[in-house]
Amino acid sequence: MQQQQQQQPVHHHQDHEGCSLAPPKKGNEEESCSAGAEETQPDCTSTTTTNNNTNTTTTTTRSKDRRDRQIIKGEPPRPQCTSTTDSVVVPGLECIHDFITEQEEQALIACLTGPHAPWAPAQCNFSKTGNVKRRVQHYGYVFDYETANVLRDRSGKDGEKAWCPPLPCLPEEYEGCTDDELSCFIQDAVTNANGWYVLAGIIERVRRYKFVMTSSQHPASTTSRMVLHQQSYRFLNQMTVNEYKPGEGIGSHIDTHSAFGDGIMSLSLGAGCVMNFKKHTLGQHNEEEKEELKTKLVYLPARSLLLMSGPARYTWSHQIVTRMTDCVCGKIIPRNTRLSLTLRTAIELPSPTNNNNGNNDEPCSCTYAKPLPAITSNKFPPTKWGDDACAVSHEISSSSLGVGDFATPDTEKNHVHAVYDAIATQWHHTRGKRGVLWPRATRFLKELPKGSIVADVGCGDGKYFPAVWEAGSYVIGTDISEPLLQTCIGSCIAADSNNVAGAGAGPETRMISHLKFGLNDRPAVAVADCMQIPLRSNSCDAAICIAVMHHLSTFARRIRCLQELSRIVKRGGLINVQAWALEQEQNSRRKFSGTDVFVPFHAQPKYLARNAVVSSMAGEQEQDKKNVAQMYSDAYEGAEYNEEKGLVVFQRYCHMYKKGELEELVAHICSLEIVDGGFECGNHFVILRVI
Amino acid sequence: MRLLTHNYLQSNVKGTEKGYPLTIEPTKIEYEESPIDMEFVENILTKIDYSALLSARNQIEDRCHSDLGSDFIVPSLPEVMPKRYSDGNSKDDKIEEDETNQEAFLKSIHTILFDIHVLEGHLVCPDTGRRFNIKMGIPNMILHEDEI
Repeated sequence: MQQQQQQQPVHHHQDHEGCSLAPPKKGNEEESCSAGAEETQPDCTSTTTTNNNTNTTTTTTRSKDRRDRQIIKGEPPRPQCTSTTDSVVVPGLECIHDFITEQEEQALIACLTGPHAPWAPAQCNFSKTGNVKRRVQHYGYVFDYETANVLRDRSGKDGEKAWCPPLPCLPEEYEGCTDDELSCFIQDAVTNANGWYVLAGIIERVRRYKFVMTSSQHPASTTSRMVLHQQSYRFLNQMTVNEYKPGEGIGSHIDTHSAFGDGIMSLSLGAGCVMNFKKHTLGQHNEEEKEELKTKLVYLPARSLLLMSGPARYTWSHQIVTRMTDCVCGKIIPRNTRLSLTLRTAIELPSPTNNNNGNNDEPCSCTYAKPLPAITSNKFPPTKWGDDACAVSHEISSSSLGVGDFATPDTEKNHVHAVYDAIATQWHHTRGKRGVLWPRATRFLKELPKGSIVADVGCGDGKYFPAVWEAGSYVIGTDISEPLLQTCIGSCIAADSNNVAGAGAGPETRMISHLKFGLNDRPAVAVADCMQIPLRSNSCDAAICIAVMHHLSTFARRIRCLQELSRIVKRGGLINVQAWALEQEQNSRRKFSGTDVFVPFHAQPKYLARNAVVSSMAGEQEQDKKNVAQMYSDAYEGAEYNEEKGLVVFQRYCHMYKKGELEELVAHICSLEIVDGGFECGNHFVILRVI
Repeated sequence: MRLLTHNYLQSNVKGTEKGYPLTIEPTKIEYEESPIDMEFVENILTKIDYSALLSARNQIEDRCHSDLGSDFIVPSLPEVMPKRYSDGNSKDDKIEEDETNQEAFLKSIHTILFDIHVLEGHLVCPDTGRRFNIKMGIPNMILHEDEI
């Protein structure tokens, strides 16, 4: 049964310039304008037997049948898709499999969903029923969902709404490079985990690709296709990134004729999905034509590039049905989060003399309109939406860093500070008490002269304090998170002669000798930002800064932190800095596919302060699981509730350091010299001396 | 917050010429006696700012009387640190100190540096007057965006 018949007719945006086809209905790229979508709120559990009764004696044939075919109650029917190869049956449609490698895919996903990803602010949808819900990014030119058109004037009257980051392009020295040079560039970028460079390289690869245009008189038989010509789309100047979570789709539409020229390409990242195509013509049709007008289903695998040109771009609508699974060649494939990267050529408004009178079967003359100028940049990461900060410059001299530059960026506010505040208790319980101390850091502290005053910048729950105390020194800790600092108080256990467990005093066990007990009850800590360490200059004998630098999101901030460390330590004093390494050890569970990433932290609700609120709210009414998830993500902005595991997942921003990167940073500071450096347990470290 | 810790804290508010030492305005103080490590105290004396310690001691004295009872006496300190400490571990005494005076001095220093805890109150920048809150013995030195 074709579900498509129940849907609303295709929406084609009425252009004032007169190339309308079907009478205008609702908007163009709305999130879920198909009637089916409204009714379907599928159960989030994607396992097979959700609502079917499990009592075998009363199992009906129908429910058993549904179970066998993995049908989820409430989902739209799932027609068979048989097109998984190049033998697409829509004229002008080409699907190129494995356009990018898995590594390239990972690198692209890492930067497009990473901390520097410039997600657009919520936009109103075309029919003004609400906001477009799925997350989108625009580069080059904004695509405005409300008017279903491109915002051409980036500066003037459209103002902020028309601003978006430039389209990533290659560095100057690669302009006009050969295809081989481009391949090398992309390969290097992948190896160095430079996601944005990979993106710039892939966009260029799409630009240069020679699509083979064939006739499609006998769609079922590939041998009868004739090669007509080759076509490249060199003037691509607009990119929209869409994130489709499982169950999300996009309503049936044709991209506005007057907004974009011929040749629209879509790269699928992370997952595949089935796309529906339907030709729209007016008037009567004979049997043969009706057959041709039936909806065509095409499966777009991950890493494939889809080209819509000619009729596929101008006459056929496309759609992704909102449901949780697809059926491809008899196999049920669950939907996973898919990123689509759509590349288009935004064009100038066609002049009135350019119109044809809307002949259905040919593209109208706006295909011949001029492309808008390309707005590109090879500086990364791209500046965020509406945010001027973030430009990375490697020529900053120490004196040019004004104090005022160090207000906390949003990325760190939301994905470092807020996270540690929320998870403080669990952090302390699981990392602190049974904490792993990096051996080099512990050795550093042991080797300090007795009676040293040590600053622990970013001390967290104070897990290095016992090591300092046992070495006969005094530590003053600072951290940005007050909740985390509060867990320092009384966190150690006294090792006394009655201690049956056998483990003596020592930093690893968090047990300290009785002599130091006063220190444990009242550790010397202050809430402070490492950008402005509240200690007087040249006062400390030594400092440690462990697992802090990887939470600083800009070059300037990393330099500033090192400068502050240098300022508070007296001349001749030593500093130990440690941060996460991009290169993890062989057997590590961790794999980082970019230099700036989100590292999840799975929090048990019982440790979360706002859990009490959420639990009581959930208990009051018969809320289903989906609403609990919503409550957690409301209580903790940016966190998601993983129902399966019953955990709240926070995303921590981390910048992973390449080998030598810490040393490079230190080189900018003339008052610091490097005494030692190395790698241990997934971290890079340096030992510095103040000179 | 101990007075030893206070001795190191400074204010970094924009426009501050010298945000040190911070004035203490305690509203809650506790006392907890701890074992003395003489060697440690002698060592510390070479690192602290003595005049800041003096002022801090005077600033907390009243609060100590009200919170710790009239029996509690905040040890007094000489205006100038004994020479042997201010010269930095110099054991070549120019001025002979007698043993008991020395020991008494070190004990006083220990009590003041380690055993008196400001749990609640404020630290005030001497330059700008900016007040930093102390809660649970932890001063909050985070600056607002317009102060950095």
